[in-house]
Amino acid sequence: MTPVVDPALSLTDHFGKAVRFADFRGQYLLVFFGFTHCKVVCPRTLGKLSEALDRLGPQSAALQPLYVSVDPERDTPEVMRAFLEARYPRFLGLTGSAEQIAHAKAAFRVFAERKVNPDDPGDYDMPHTALVYLLDREGNYLLHLAPHLDVDAVVTRLGKTIQTQTDSE
Amino acid sequence: MGVEAATIGNFARSREELLAQVPELDRFQTGHLRHIENIARQLPNDWANMGTQLSWQENFEAFRYQLAYMAYAVALTHFHRLPAAPGYFRQTFDDLIQKMLLPDVWYFWRETSRGGGEVNKDAPISPGQVNPIDRDNIMYSAYLQSMSALYNVLFDDDKYTKPGALTMKFNPFLFRTDQCEDFAYDQNSINEHLYWRMVESGYLGIACEPFCTFQICQQPAILGFRLNDVLNGTDRATEVTEGFAAAWKEFGQFDEQGHYTTFVKTSTGEVQPNQSGAWSDGWLGTLLNMWSPDLVKGHYPEGIRKWVKDLPDGTSFVPPYVPEGAEGADVSAGSSVDFGWCCTWASEVGDQELLSRFLGYADKYLSPKWKDGGYYYPRNDKFVDEDGNAITVSPQAGNALLPYARLNVPDGLNKLYNAPWGPAHFAEPLITEISDTVDVTRARWLPEPRSLVFSLARREGREGEVALVIANVFTQDGGSWHLNAGEAEIASGTAAVVTAVSSGIRIERVGHDLHVAMPIAGKSDFILQWQS
Repeated sequence: MTPVVDPALSLTDHFGKAVRFADFRGQYLLVFFGFTHCKVVCPRTLGKLSEALDRLGPQSAALQPLYVSVDPERDTPEVMRAFLEARYPRFLGLTGSAEQIAHAKAAFRVFAERKVNPDDPGDYDMPHTALVYLLDREGNYLLHLAPHLDVDAVVTRLGKTIQTQTDSE
Repeated sequence: MGVEAATIGNFARSREELLAQVPELDRFQTGHLRHIENIARQLPNDWANMGTQLSWQENFEAFRYQLAYMAYAVALTHFHRLPAAPGYFRQTFDDLIQKMLLPDVWYFWRETSRGGGEVNKDAPISPGQVNPIDRDNIMYSAYLQSMSALYNVLFDDDKYTKPGALTMKFNPFLFRTDQCEDFAYDQNSINEHLYWRMVESGYLGIACEPFCTFQICQQPAILGFRLNDVLNGTDRATEVTEGFAAAWKEFGQFDEQGHYTTFVKTSTGEVQPNQSGAWSDGWLGTLLNMWSPDLVKGHYPEGIRKWVKDLPDGTSFVPPYVPEGAEGADVSAGSSVDFGWCCTWASEVGDQELLSRFLGYADKYLSPKWKDGGYYYPRNDKFVDEDGNAITVSPQAGNALLPYARLNVPDGLNKLYNAPWGPAHFAEPLITEISDTVDVTRARWLPEPRSLVFSLARREGREGEVALVIANVFTQDGGSWHLNAGEAEIASGTAAVVTAVSSGIRIERVGHDLHVAMPIAGKSDFILQWQS
């Protein structure tokens, strides 16, 4: 079944502050899981989402983009802050203990698995789910965006969904 | 025809021309359909002709596979060969779905879910579970998912989307009655469940038995995703197939011998090459052609030749895999579905020459049988006959795979996957109901000239007239229509008037549909044509 996110689910933001999903109530959440060492999927997706948010214009003010690490061992709050502020400043990074991240992955039904980097045995990759989730102002799942959608499709789907939601509020 | 001819039809194109545009099923194809229908009509828990060589519903001849691939064969026949006759197939397809819900089909999961299989003895053991959908077991759940989606797409009927419409009941009558439980799902909830399981797996796929993720067993689920996408306006099949291709690239879709890799042991990350025969190549080649035809067709010519033996009599076969220790008299420990899957593989890629040689072998050496109008290859556990010819037949091959191969068309599953019917098809004149006194051997709507062309053949031993309902007759644009049987007009009408021209026919308008009842003897060709 679709993801169900416990409002009490807690993580640490990239300022080092403990946060719960309940703390974001009142905002739409755009949630993407990844890791800062990711070479392909994360840069592509974060870039696409950043452009989509730019193009959404005023609607994006209602959205809080979140980037949740699947690699808490390397992605400390400091690392995530430096990574996001330099390249994807719209996003708030979230990390936590291995147990917290496991809970977050399970809630969003996210796959991520540590694999040795074949080009550098001392390094590792974290192949992971590339879905982007949209939650409503109460933290309920609304939809997810597949990785093959281009930026036009992302803008259209986010814009329409937020408009529909806003109209019914 | 048993009706009295009154007038000669008046067609814009000759009757022969129209009939030539609509190929007719041959008697073997009709016989296969009848055999599948006979099995589908058996009372619940009557598994006559389906008994398996192995107990425990363990192997590739298990009831779930027989039911699913009989259903797929019906789907392909309806979609490609008799698109205007949903009434000929609908009950059969529905009966096959209902049989999938019986405990005899799915209760094996209580044991299998514990793990500890022959192929991954090192994997953890669990207490197991009865619910056959919840975890792993894509080898059952994907068939229920895809069959219910096919039913919806082919018959424009969403009854399986209703909550609880696909409920598996654990309801023993005498024992463990305090543990009875219903596992209530529907077309959408199973689809959702499998989709998210697929996401969680990183698109490698959902396991069959614990910790064994097979390439082939994801394909029925992908068919289900695609059909549900069409129904729901989603696009999950694209996401899943792209993810699947990327995930399997890591392990390799082919082994060192050039065969499709079979499965990944997710407890160890090991990939299993094909070590047990042609079934793995044939099965995956058949279904993967849905969404990866270039890969399948690039591999096929060399891939299938590794398995095929040609005989001087113009036939060809695939020797069955013989498990270690089972050489000699029988293959009761083996699956013996290698030949059947190579037949479906050849049919899907459109290798008509080899398919013809395969079916020639089957008809010559596999002791085909006619029973109650049905044509099939009875189970045979013997390995070879006295002349050394391979004669083993599993019920999966005899009931489902060989009929599937004979009824399929080139790229049959690919076309069904990529261009399933939409609303325009269901607005055409269609035979939505028909009595079981006849077989339908031809049924197609020709938009130009606007004609429904169909042929009916009386079933031997079935008494009574034939009654049929042709839907959407009175939603067509104006003009008069004429219904001919053979060269004789038997009825005519307009949007307002219906007239039986022959004395033996009863015909009436009911809503937008035309109801027809008439005697029939032998076979007759019908043309319902509009004159604008």
